[in-house]
Amino acid sequence: MSNIEKYNNIFVEVFGVDPSLLNDDFSKDTVDLWDSVHQLNLVSLAEESFDIMLDPEDIMGFTSYGKGKEIVAAQGVDLEA
Amino acid sequence: MAKWRIQNVRMAGVSACVPENVVKTEDIDLMSPEEAEVFNNTVGIKKRHIAPDTVCASDMCQKAAEKLIEELGWDKGSIDVLIFESVTGDYKTPPTSCLLQDRLGLPDTTFCLDMPMGCCGCLYAITVGGNLISSGNVKRALLLIGDTALRMGSLKDKSRVPLFGDCGTAIALEFDESAPEIVVDFHTFGKGYEALMTPHGGFRHPATPESFVEEDFGNGIVRAPIHTLINGMNVFSFAISKPPKSVEQFLEVEGIDRNEDVDYFLIHQANKMIVDRVVKKLKLPSDKVPYNLEEYGNLGGASIPSLMVTRLRDQLTSSPQRLIMSSFGLGLSWATMSATFGPMIIPEIQTI
Repeated sequence: MSNIEKYNNIFVEVFGVDPSLLNDDFSKDTVDLWDSVHQLNLVSLAEESFDIMLDPEDIMGFTSYGKGKEIVAAQGVDLEA
Repeated sequence: MAKWRIQNVRMAGVSACVPENVVKTEDIDLMSPEEAEVFNNTVGIKKRHIAPDTVCASDMCQKAAEKLIEELGWDKGSIDVLIFESVTGDYKTPPTSCLLQDRLGLPDTTFCLDMPMGCCGCLYAITVGGNLISSGNVKRALLLIGDTALRMGSLKDKSRVPLFGDCGTAIALEFDESAPEIVVDFHTFGKGYEALMTPHGGFRHPATPESFVEEDFGNGIVRAPIHTLINGMNVFSFAISKPPKSVEQFLEVEGIDRNEDVDYFLIHQANKMIVDRVVKKLKLPSDKVPYNLEEYGNLGGASIPSLMVTRLRDQLTSSPQRLIMSSFGLGLSWATMSATFGPMIIPEIQTI
């Protein structure tokens, strides 16, 4: 499984959303279900999927599909791989 | 760098005292039966012991200390240091440790100190008391760690009421040249102080009539500025990130194999979601991570000593146990400690 597939699966698991609907606009502001619990679930799964440990500011900043990609990539995860 | 290697200090015993009154989640009138069930399953705190308004943290600590001193067979005159670690002391002034010196009948030569450090309180108290003993100038220290945290907040604050239990603990430290080294490191993120705070009632914002004016923040949170608040998202993101990173680094620097070298990991019992995340991130063997939050809730600084009393009594009274302890809370502060404690005296848990 590619890293971007792993990343998309995190959102599929947390929100039960079809991967085709995921884009940079998929965010806290546009998704009704996106509350603090869902955000923490996203972060937890991202940490487990890529074996990374995020900082508090990353956890707080994980507020959209696009921002999450930047945060994960900053941990050295190549989402093109 | 705030890291210590504390030599020649042995933990001679630990004890705990809780109120008789037990409150189940289902008994909390802020929550519907459905909410209580979800809370029990996710946050994991099913019961907590809650003290009546007439009982302070110092009362529970005193009872725990009396029992411990009795079972240790210590002459009270031999106790050189008394530390009271709590954010819920008897009065703003004087220091509660001074009152306890009298109530416990300790000599007037006792060095008394109050420390209001919150959930890291146990590790702060061991560090300060241990270093005083390690200097060789004093031989015995009594560390009293406890809180009545529920009363600090609004009883209409659903984000806080179900989390805390009340407890007082006592730890006995003494000089022992054969004691294994205690290693501890501390971290502080003062920028995050607003995540856990009591806005009014100090000298920055003294209590005025407006301090008691309640505001409805939604989601079942009604509180006034005089009440302690928790910013859940900030606390959670801190607790699941900074402490496990520090533990990971600590284990690496100290050359400790988490699977082979450690008997138990004592993680501050904040709530099940946080402890589970810390355990998972650190890939800790689950049979080495005792929990007691389901029965006692978050006990603040008393959390780690309460784990020793309620979950590791048989092990710690019979043989040495290598422990890694991780606590985190107010400040924001967090600490990691490695120590081999035991065999030691642990009386049965006391009630008041």
